[in-house]
Amino acid sequence: MIKAFRWWWGILLAFSLLAVTRAFLPLAFINEVVIFSIYTMGCSFLLGRVGFISFGQPAYLAVGAYGTAFYLFYFGTNPYIGILLGVLSGLIVSGIVGPLFVRLRSDYFALVNLALAVIIYYLMQKVLADITKGDNGLWFLTNIASTPLLDLGKPNHFFIFALLVALAVWAFYKYLDDSIYGACCLATKINEDKLEFLGYSNYSVRLLAFIIANTTTALAGSMYAVYLGFVSPEITSPARAADPVVVTILGGVGTLYGPLVGAFAYTGMKDVISKLIGNWELFIGFLLVFIMLAGEKGIWGTLQPLLEKLLFRKKRTAGTADGKEAH
Amino acid sequence: MLPHSTANNDDILAVSGLNVSYGESKVLFDIALSVQPRQIVACVGRNGAGKTTLLKSIAGFLKPTSGSITSDHIDLVGRKSYDIAKMGIKYVPQDKKVFSDLTVRENLELGSYATQDYNWDRVIDYFPKLKELMDRKAGFLSGGERQMLMIGRSLLGNPKVLLIDEPTEGLAPSIVAHLRNVFTELSKNSALVIVEQNLPLVCAISSKVYAVKEGRIVAELADPDSIKADVCERYL
Repeated sequence: MIKAFRWWWGILLAFSLLAVTRAFLPLAFINEVVIFSIYTMGCSFLLGRVGFISFGQPAYLAVGAYGTAFYLFYFGTNPYIGILLGVLSGLIVSGIVGPLFVRLRSDYFALVNLALAVIIYYLMQKVLADITKGDNGLWFLTNIASTPLLDLGKPNHFFIFALLVALAVWAFYKYLDDSIYGACCLATKINEDKLEFLGYSNYSVRLLAFIIANTTTALAGSMYAVYLGFVSPEITSPARAADPVVVTILGGVGTLYGPLVGAFAYTGMKDVISKLIGNWELFIGFLLVFIMLAGEKGIWGTLQPLLEKLLFRKKRTAGTADGKEAH
Repeated sequence: MLPHSTANNDDILAVSGLNVSYGESKVLFDIALSVQPRQIVACVGRNGAGKTTLLKSIAGFLKPTSGSITSDHIDLVGRKSYDIAKMGIKYVPQDKKVFSDLTVRENLELGSYATQDYNWDRVIDYFPKLKELMDRKAGFLSGGERQMLMIGRSLLGNPKVLLIDEPTEGLAPSIVAHLRNVFTELSKNSALVIVEQNLPLVCAISSKVYAVKEGRIVAELADPDSIKADVCERYL
């Protein structure tokens, strides 16, 4: 019981804090943060655990979003089925391109993923315009049926759903981090030859990581689709290709809570600064350069050791106090 | 020219006519060697002689241009390095680079998961110090501790052949002495192929020594009387 609590407490605390922010921050902002953090989680796992930087995450986001959108626009009304189909689309696409992409070195991997994002952008905008409605996009907010318990058509209910999904995603990644497979991923990043000395195939380790990460990204895409009730090719715009990478670095590469902290900080900056000045992208660009130069560990990567030190010191002080009482 | 190695049916590892090149540059020339179960075989030679290339070729990290490498009559040429490791032929590299961001425990767990051997008693018996270091990141270990971890990890799964590259390089004499005992003990279960420049150590533990010079085996010493540091040195 205590062991289970120890395992869960960090995740529960993080998402409880996020839930509390609902009291004084706009719902749209919090929903955006939760979905964006799930979106970033896949990128963070690839970069932090496997050492692959991907500028093509919008491709997998779009695959998930369009998987959901096609179902809700053309075939059905149940948003849960829509999300499941979006996730399945991500699983299938990453399962198809993964065996080719993971053979590449990290720099080529980044570019080939970006190329995939461009291909999907033009597929959705031009080639499949009859189905995707091109730049106008697919609108299906009114098609989404009410569902018992959590009605995803209602932003308040969607928020609870998004929090629960994010909680499950974080628990899953924490489990991965703690598992032998997580150690294999880190080992392949540190030294791929040495992993093979032990009898592991780097290719298999990387392929599984690629599929897991991009299916997570597709999950974020399908959640965007249901939340907004609208999907257009803009979701896979190459202009936004760097967003998850930037948020990953901003939050702290390879840390469990980095994507959440990064998404919160990035969305917050965007929200606040865009209200104050017109060319907010330029300002955010400079700000991000400054943040990354100031501390390459990112926000959470810098805060985590400080918090651990603080907690550890408190525990030690408590331990000493107990000891004194016992004597 | 040295005659072909005295290979026979009992060999757990046999190499014959092995030629290896790095691009246009040929590094190994017609190498032949044989290793029997529970035998310690050493390869000695100066830096750049091709000893590490030989081990890497056996372990599947380099593809020979010609020749054969067999273990228990199974051809290893063309097999992936992780397949060869799974077959029980483990390579312990020279550079002592462990997975520095992982703890000692996690490093061992990686070895255990790959081999499905979760019994660490033997590892701890050989290297008791590892028990105290379980939760330390491997990046913070000393050179000797890293070597213990690397050899210890490779013992999981009870390998039939250990290919150990320069195990004592840069280590303190007390650790070298400890490793010498460990190698002798290990040879009760596994065959060892050790690339080493420490000739006194080599001569103390090996039952066969190959002298490698400029990519060729120039001597095969299998007679206990000939396995002496001064004899080995003559061929280097």
